[in-house]
Amino acid sequence: MTEVRSGLAPYIYVCTRMRVRKAKLLPKEEYLRMLQMTLPEITRFIEETEYKKEIDENAQFFEGIDLFEIGLSWNLAKEYQKILEITPGSLKQFTKAYLRRWDIQNVLNILRGKLQGMKAGKIKEVLIPAGGLDRLMLDRLISEDSPERVIEALKKTRMYPVLQKEFQGAIEKGSFSKVENELYKSMYAEILSDAEGGIKGGNDFISFLRLDIDIINIKNLFRIRADGFEEDVRDMMIPGGSFTPDELQTLNSLPTHDEFIDTLRGKLNRHPILEAQEQLRNIHSIREAESELTRIQLSEMERMSKMHPFSIHPILVYLEKKKYEVFNLRALARGKESGLSPERIREFLVI
Amino acid sequence: MADVSTAATLTIDMIHAQQAGLKAIGAGLAVGLTGVGTGVAEMGIGAAAVGAIAENKDFFGLGLLFTVIPETIVIFGLVISLLLMFS
Repeated sequence: MTEVRSGLAPYIYVCTRMRVRKAKLLPKEEYLRMLQMTLPEITRFIEETEYKKEIDENAQFFEGIDLFEIGLSWNLAKEYQKILEITPGSLKQFTKAYLRRWDIQNVLNILRGKLQGMKAGKIKEVLIPAGGLDRLMLDRLISEDSPERVIEALKKTRMYPVLQKEFQGAIEKGSFSKVENELYKSMYAEILSDAEGGIKGGNDFISFLRLDIDIINIKNLFRIRADGFEEDVRDMMIPGGSFTPDELQTLNSLPTHDEFIDTLRGKLNRHPILEAQEQLRNIHSIREAESELTRIQLSEMERMSKMHPFSIHPILVYLEKKKYEVFNLRALARGKESGLSPERIREFLVI
Repeated sequence: MADVSTAATLTIDMIHAQQAGLKAIGAGLAVGLTGVGTGVAEMGIGAAAVGAIAENKDFFGLGLLFTVIPETIVIFGLVISLLLMFS
């Protein structure tokens, strides 16, 4: 089913499957129940859900919290690869484009691990092979001797030009933040230009990308403002959203939080996420603001998926919600292990 | 005169035959077009039902039920065609 030849039916089929899968995700009440449980109880609870198979598979190699995390990551990766298999035609292209962000994350984790001299097994634990680079390719990258050789091995990927250009500077600075930023910027630019190339359903994907870029930029602005960073932020922002880098720079230079929120509202006039901006006015902690923005993004994506029921939107909503389910469970487990109070752990959850 | 009566008889026979033919075409169209309509309607419902069943076997009964609901359209067509043919 690589090409859509039979009209709308494959779209309806896949979108319905995604809706059923979305309905199987853990509801808010379960998280609230888990907040009151101990770590072994949570593990037992999770073993009765969709994650059982992956946790059982890894039980002989890992234990405790590591087993929990690896099980979650494997489940996420398998789920994403499975979805890629069943999506038809242009939806497959868009899903692949969406999953490219995992490649960036994996490659950066490998490079960081290599630079810090971590063992291959340890690096492998943090990778989530959900993107285009499969498990075999990632194993090959991990087995390379040096970061330079890792980059050479990526010669055929679209990441290569950016990595080649920025990597030396990153080693000199000792920070990968610029490389990461540039990789995401080039990824979004490429995906946007691909989607604008007249592929069927491209407009739906573009509307998701614009929302995604907006939310990332606004999250970054919240972070930058909290750090009191007053330099030029244009280079850090991803172009292609509702704001130009210049507008984002203007937003960053505003002195008070209220002014920042007001200008944001003014710029997002008639934008559906406008309503939620008022809630952000009273939030001053970065974590809360980020969670709120993620919730805004998810509800906006949900709205778009209802408006376009047989498009890429239902698939993207499920992919995002699944990702946050795994993040939530990981936060829960880590929080419980560190002995944090349920109230404190709840702040980290996107529910 | 004889020629005229023969021509009249032939014409009446022809008209009867023509009527029967048109009835048959109407009956065929009634079943055929409603069949196409049913097919189009079932395409979407069937695809969704199969998708739901693939994820959760419990949807089988409900999925099957919803998929065959548009069959009523073709049954209406069949009723019309039977009425046309045998009335």
